[in-house]
Amino acid sequence: MIKTVLVANRGEIACRILRACSEAGLESIAIFADNDAGSMFTELATIAVPLAGDSIAETYLNQAQILSIAAEYGADAIHPGFGFLSERADFAQAVIDAGISWIGPSPKAIEMMGDKMTARMTMKAAGVPVIPGEEIESEDEAAMISDIIDASERVGYPLLLKASSGGGGKGMRKVEDPTNLEEAIKGARREAIAAFGDGRVYVERLLTGSKHVEIQVLADKHGKTIHLGERECSVQRRHQKVFEESPCPVMTEGLRSRMGEAAVMAAQAVDYVGAGTVEFLLASNGEFFFLEMNTRIQVEHPVTEMVTGVDLVREQLRIAAGEPMSCGELMIRGHAIEVRLYAEDASNNFLPAIGPLAMFRAPTGPGIRLDTGVREGDLVTPNYDPMLAKLIVWAPSRPEALQRMRRALDEFVVLGTTTNIRFLRELCDNRDVISGRTDTMLIDRVWPDGWQPNHSQSSLDAALMVAAVSESAGLHRVQTQDVSVSEGPVSPFSTLNRRYP
Amino acid sequence: MQHEFKVDGEMVEVTVAKDGQEWILGNHVAIISDDGRIMVKQPDGRTSFAHSAKVGDTWWVHFEGHIFCIEKTEAGSIDNDSDAGMTAPMPGKILEVKVANGDSVEAGQLLLIMEAMKMEHRIVAPVDGVISTVNFSPGDQVQQGDVLVEMAE
Repeated sequence: MIKTVLVANRGEIACRILRACSEAGLESIAIFADNDAGSMFTELATIAVPLAGDSIAETYLNQAQILSIAAEYGADAIHPGFGFLSERADFAQAVIDAGISWIGPSPKAIEMMGDKMTARMTMKAAGVPVIPGEEIESEDEAAMISDIIDASERVGYPLLLKASSGGGGKGMRKVEDPTNLEEAIKGARREAIAAFGDGRVYVERLLTGSKHVEIQVLADKHGKTIHLGERECSVQRRHQKVFEESPCPVMTEGLRSRMGEAAVMAAQAVDYVGAGTVEFLLASNGEFFFLEMNTRIQVEHPVTEMVTGVDLVREQLRIAAGEPMSCGELMIRGHAIEVRLYAEDASNNFLPAIGPLAMFRAPTGPGIRLDTGVREGDLVTPNYDPMLAKLIVWAPSRPEALQRMRRALDEFVVLGTTTNIRFLRELCDNRDVISGRTDTMLIDRVWPDGWQPNHSQSSLDAALMVAAVSESAGLHRVQTQDVSVSEGPVSPFSTLNRRYP
Repeated sequence: MQHEFKVDGEMVEVTVAKDGQEWILGNHVAIISDDGRIMVKQPDGRTSFAHSAKVGDTWWVHFEGHIFCIEKTEAGSIDNDSDAGMTAPMPGKILEVKVANGDSVEAGQLLLIMEAMKMEHRIVAPVDGVISTVNFSPGDQVQQGDVLVEMAE
């Protein structure tokens, strides 16, 4: 039995999980760092408890502090979300040792999949195809450089350097030819040490023109392991996904069942429990290769929820409580697309942006879902990941879903902070996105010199007029004027006839 | 009413007239709604609703899915954005400095690497020139807008 869930995360995913707790009739505890006071997620929990400390290490990554809050406030389960401590086997173990349910797979499974090199070897042994490449065991910088240079000759160019503890594109470098290899190794290693405290880097062949297709799996403690179809997340910038969909436009029934079977095998090879994702590269000839398994809920889980009707976070809670999963046979209905709303300047190399969300008006209407961690009036700070929200649409077919996404993005008004909304909107008009010929190099291929917004002169003219009208009418002063209307001959409190307490 | 704005690096003078509730510019007409949105009637008869918000001196305008940042400038002010100083795009830490005073650099050349939001960012020269000042060393914390490197064209 689970009664109270502590959510060891922040932002959008904390909101998603806290709402699931509320829907499941569970009490919830949010934890927040000082610079997150007043954030949306802190309001969605039964109680919100402040974390002491300034840095991420002292707050959201501080296992001892989180466990002591869990004990003090009587949490009997911890949901880690994604990022932060979600793939830390030592934390999962510490949670279990404290007598608290861990909403996720066993520490052993996290460890085997979390170390990318160990995962590759485990998958090879289980008969799941992996990308041609080599594991590099050395940790010392000089030895690593010489080992990788040796391996690079066998693996071939272009190649990809990946941090063994990596994720989210951190500690990853694409290398086109040997001249840039040494600098790339140093950069990848440095970034990996900074982000994960582990500088080990390995080499994989860069398979150009391939799709990123991943399979959602779900396993309960009653011996049932299923897959919930695929998501295609090929469209990426700097190895971070921006546009995700289900089903994959080139998927066939036969391929889905082969990939699904491989994913279930991968999960079973580590006695997986809970929700997880097995990522594959799908080559244009239909061959697929294991990339990695994410042992947690994933950012893009909503597209699977929209087409399968399964509430993945609710299933996570159910499975952690020891109940059997509630989903029956796999049924995929219609098409879902998710885009990630980032505070970033798409016209300047996707550089993260900061500022106030002076206006944040999300689209509404049929088939639209917004998973957000922010609302109007919030401040975007450089303290955390710049992903603000996810916009998800569902429609009966892919062309209709794409059209709905265009409509929704046109309606989405975010002012005061630079976001990638316009970039996402123009992405929906790209020929290869429309035809489903998306691959992991799409953004670099379509905008080799960077993206610039495609504004027409007439819309710029209209915008200038709007600015001039706004300035002339003093629209920026309206709000402050509104606050001062409480004066008057009659006090608004004169009708007060009850005091509480 | 006449205003001077800067948008996409260009100065633009915009004059709007008011007639009752209607604002007029050429054959565009705009009306401010009670909720603060601005209804724009275009010459072809189409009507769209724009949103605007001012942050500092900049008007952010959303119009038909496009977003514009339009800076209000005082009439006669001098555009001094071309001093070719490279500023920190956000708070972070300097990792590596690749140039020294007196170095000749080409447009696009890597000047320094900084870390912000757990990612590395490469600061490159916007134009050809000679480095005149390097203001930070590896390990230094920088704030948004700090001038990292100055150069002369």
